[in-house]
Amino acid sequence: MTEGTVGAAAPHCPYCALQCAMTVTPVATSARVRNAAVEIAGRDFPTNRGGLCKKGWTAAELIASPERIVEPMIREESGDYRAADWDEALDLVAGRLRSLRSEYGADSVGVFGGGGLTNEKAYQLGKFTRVTLGSSRIDYNGRFCMASAAAAGNRAFGIDRGLPFPVEALDDARTVMLLGSNVAETMPPFIGHLETARAAGGLIVVDPRRSSTAQLTADGAGLHVQPTPGSDLPLLLGLIHIVIAEELVDRDYIAARTTGFDDLRRSVSRWWPERVQERTGVPAWQLRELARRLASEGGTYILTGRGVEQHVDGTDTATAAINLALVLGLVGSTHSGYGTLTGQGNGQGGREHGQKADQLPGYRKITDPVAREHVAGVWGVPPGSLPGEGLPAVQLLTTLGQQGGVRALLVHGSNVVVSAPDADVVRRGLEALDFLVVCDFFFSETARYADVVLPVTQWAEEEGTMTSLEGRVIRRRKAVDPPPGVRSELWIFAELARRLESPSTFRIDASEVFDELCRASEGGIADYSGLSHALLDTGIAAHWPYPVGSSGTPRLFLDRFGHADGRARIVAVTARADDAPAHVDGVLTLITGRLLEHYQSGAQTRRVPELLAAQPRARAQLHPATAGQLGIADGDRIEVSNERGLVRCLAELTPGIRLDTVFLPFHFADDQSANLLTDHSTDPISGMPEFKRTIVRVRALSEEVVHA
Amino acid sequence: MPERIVLVGFGPVGARFAEELLPAVSSGLVSLTVVGAEPDHAYNRVLLADYAVGSAGRDALEMTDTSALDGAGVRILTGTSVVTLNRTTNTVTLDSGERVPYDRLVLATGARANIPTLDGVTRLRRDRMRPPDAANGLDTADARLPIGITALRDLDDARRVLDAIQAGRRIIVLGAGVLGMELALAAAHAGAETAVVYHSESPMDRNLDVGGGAMLARAARHAGVTMINHSRAESVVCHVDEHGDSRFDAIICADGKQIDGDLLVLSCGVGARVELAYLAGLDVAGGVLVDDQLRTWADDDIYAIGDCAHVATRSADGSLPDGGPTGLIGPGWRQADWLAARFVADFTAGHSIDAPGFVDRGAGVVMLKAEGVDVVAAGAVKRDIWEIDLDEGRDHASGCEVAAVQVAQWADPEHGRYVKMVSRAGILEGFVSVGMPRTAAELTLLFERRSELPADRSVLLRFDGPDYVPSAARDAFALDATVCWCNGVTVGEIAGSAAEGNTTIECISSATRAGTGCGGCKGRIADVLDFFARAEPETEPQEA
Repeated sequence: MTEGTVGAAAPHCPYCALQCAMTVTPVATSARVRNAAVEIAGRDFPTNRGGLCKKGWTAAELIASPERIVEPMIREESGDYRAADWDEALDLVAGRLRSLRSEYGADSVGVFGGGGLTNEKAYQLGKFTRVTLGSSRIDYNGRFCMASAAAAGNRAFGIDRGLPFPVEALDDARTVMLLGSNVAETMPPFIGHLETARAAGGLIVVDPRRSSTAQLTADGAGLHVQPTPGSDLPLLLGLIHIVIAEELVDRDYIAARTTGFDDLRRSVSRWWPERVQERTGVPAWQLRELARRLASEGGTYILTGRGVEQHVDGTDTATAAINLALVLGLVGSTHSGYGTLTGQGNGQGGREHGQKADQLPGYRKITDPVAREHVAGVWGVPPGSLPGEGLPAVQLLTTLGQQGGVRALLVHGSNVVVSAPDADVVRRGLEALDFLVVCDFFFSETARYADVVLPVTQWAEEEGTMTSLEGRVIRRRKAVDPPPGVRSELWIFAELARRLESPSTFRIDASEVFDELCRASEGGIADYSGLSHALLDTGIAAHWPYPVGSSGTPRLFLDRFGHADGRARIVAVTARADDAPAHVDGVLTLITGRLLEHYQSGAQTRRVPELLAAQPRARAQLHPATAGQLGIADGDRIEVSNERGLVRCLAELTPGIRLDTVFLPFHFADDQSANLLTDHSTDPISGMPEFKRTIVRVRALSEEVVHA
Repeated sequence: MPERIVLVGFGPVGARFAEELLPAVSSGLVSLTVVGAEPDHAYNRVLLADYAVGSAGRDALEMTDTSALDGAGVRILTGTSVVTLNRTTNTVTLDSGERVPYDRLVLATGARANIPTLDGVTRLRRDRMRPPDAANGLDTADARLPIGITALRDLDDARRVLDAIQAGRRIIVLGAGVLGMELALAAAHAGAETAVVYHSESPMDRNLDVGGGAMLARAARHAGVTMINHSRAESVVCHVDEHGDSRFDAIICADGKQIDGDLLVLSCGVGARVELAYLAGLDVAGGVLVDDQLRTWADDDIYAIGDCAHVATRSADGSLPDGGPTGLIGPGWRQADWLAARFVADFTAGHSIDAPGFVDRGAGVVMLKAEGVDVVAAGAVKRDIWEIDLDEGRDHASGCEVAAVQVAQWADPEHGRYVKMVSRAGILEGFVSVGMPRTAAELTLLFERRSELPADRSVLLRFDGPDYVPSAARDAFALDATVCWCNGVTVGEIAGSAAEGNTTIECISSATRAGTGCGGCKGRIADVLDFFARAEPETEPQEA
């Protein structure tokens, strides 16, 4: 493949939002890393302190993977793909988009983005959709990820920055509660920041599964709380009840810094500990112990993850976690706080600069006339020409190929066939499209449906910025040249814009795009206007907001919250009725999550031999007692099914999971894809699908089926 | 023209109903009048014992945003009682004489404390034959209890208990039902000298089997409560104080025993407030009889929910059903939710729609609210473990084979642990759990959801065992135990690498990547290296 020639560079890991720092050195070969064009080493940085996980160490294999797409590919009538040159591919794309738009209207062209794209690409994607395509139909896979916590954060604080404090702040805390987050597998170097809490016996992990992270609470390091799936909201309401009943609240803080406490107090009156025990399966004594621990001295952080957020009441659940943090006076202090652990590499920046259906750069609302005027001014177009609010991801995907829906879709940095709920509906939607363009490095499961696949640059081959889970803007730096036939999305947008006679200019150079992004974000919530690539290259710790003249904001909310009156909003929320079914004859509640070795849809990590060898296929975790009743032994082939779909996988027996629960990793494709089972019903506020509470039936696969 | 709804009763269930109806009131679909006899707005009666012993403030009992109800235009009348239901004119008459018309009337009048027959206590309490008049006499009529004797049903009662506890008085609780035990344990926890007097063998006799009751009695004694069983109170002894008021001194039991105290709290069960319905000609048994639509048997415009409602199928022969309200708050709230949703659906459709009936699968779980004493029970628990099920295998009318009732039991009185599971075909019909909180929580979910028990019932017991934490009990040097989470490196891989000559942490890190993530496992790597370094020489010489 390519001969790398750029020299040692200092980028960050391509995967999760911890954005571990690395040094990447081009080499011909390496004894340890097969086929690698570069060699990777950890680099000291506050989030990872020089450490990397298995995914990071092996990330180089993506660069030189033999499966890499290195030329534009066009699907022929036969269904086979042939290589094409860029002019032919782009002419085809522009032509098809133009004709579909003139026939069906601008909203017939949709765009689907990703939380792994750089800020520059995410920004340009939003601008391209609104200005060049004139379409409102843009959203992204962060809708499956951060949408609930983001909505809750905006509602409560007026600002959504995942961690409104630096990650290192956790090092000083004696108590850290992780709700629905398995950091030991999803971002392993993060657990180094939990050492103080563990030493103080204060690591609290709330998870229906005794996950790797929950196991870190063993031996006196903390407490594992194991509620039945879907009962996180009553659990949190119960904790608030105890905190209020036992006078553990910070009255002065509540009076000075919040509104809405009385509503909350009344709303949690009905969630006394024994009633919460009845709903959640968590004993009342454990609830009391937990509430008292959270209220103890020495710094307390409450952190939420997808386990509690990926529900139809995910926004309200995150809100309840925030309310708990607010009544304890944690948020906006110098020693405590609330945060949500962003998942994807640029899950934070990706939700700030305009690839969300309702959003313009700088975390502005697309429905706000002032925001429209400002951004339209930067783009040099009349404000009235910008479309309005579009559809959130799940709804957008359900319109594919439908009457009045999206006829052509552009997919960037996302593998919806694996990552979206109710995968079978998504597959049929993609088949029903008139035209599908996928930009990717590999023939992902989604790319297999594409009419045109455009090969794009990877992390170590491009310049740009990412915004990490702590709201710190960091530089992605080029370490190697991409293969000759591969282009950056920034170039592709510019080329398509030119062919489609776009009224605005699309720059190709990432630092110029970033400068424009900074201007577009100026005065918005996520204000980057004081930043530039050159400034970031000096190594500053740039936590946004970073307006002109600022030196960044490592800790938000110390003096005021983002609302006009400076106060946080305590919003009383209510729990839905418990409608869990009888768990008989193999009926169980399915939860999904990640494995150490794989990232998201697995499109990348399943192509790294070492990672694939460690976790080659989906294994469903079952309690031995549950499995025994179904005649299932460890390693048996099983079937997990419901009215939406059927997954075939292996059984993995562990006493660490609840009797009523089955766990599937969501990294796998085809008939191992967990999202064949999940439902597309969504949270009314955030648009987040219900990923973590799916009713399924588990059964052993008979021999005949196995050999069929 | 909005539908006119009159709600009689502003307790926790009535308040929940009003709240659920709030959007329909705001949108003009419904006009709502709420009549409550107590002077206070609805409060959380479940927390009354906590308030009575000073462990919860008055604030903590608030549960309704009355300003929101007011703002939406709900008419709330507190300290007001309904004295007559006029079914022919679809009106109610208030104690002020005002007549309020309704299209639908909802009774949420709740229940009042039973006053037992005791010599020295006038038992003239409201009964179903006596029409209500003034709100403040709704339960006491004209017969006030002597000073030093109270029920525990409303805020005034709770304040009496609180005063006594704060003054360091001796408390006697008469009756060892769940509410009596909760109060006694809370009072003892608050430092009061507390005795429970009851006539059964063991406490919570209605909910627990003999074993569970015995365990609870032990736990209560351990918590400092004097438990006096087999004692039927017959009379109270009072003296006349300097103001000429009669004051409680002691109770005398049937066996002649005298128990002295300063405050006697009567906890002898409750009875539904049914007199309005009864006098209006509605059917009454354990409560106001309603069908599965929560509609009274005789009047389609009148509904009942909560502690005053007895949900039962109308019998063909006019006989009255057994049973009655559960007295638990959960079912009451679910009824309130269900009925409000049903009303909104009816009014939105413009006519009464055929809704599936109210089914309450969650009914019947009784959980003792007491810190440090963990008792949960549900369903039928009396069956003895060795009792033979006579119904086993018998063909019923349906022709179905009936599975036998099975009992599994674990008792460890020394350590205060007891579990009994009564099941049929693997599905719980009842259970008792004492001193095993995590097991109790799981059994509750299994019972409510009608989920299948694990064939090995002891799996459930282990949740409360020290071996529950699978990893904690594991051999830290098992070959498949993970050492480095960041890189998924096991003990076996480190041992293997060490055998190839990588005997320092640095070498191991370089060869396996263990310790190259967060670095938190470096101590563990050293332990593993040490373990295998020590293990090696020992294995060989032992042969000799």
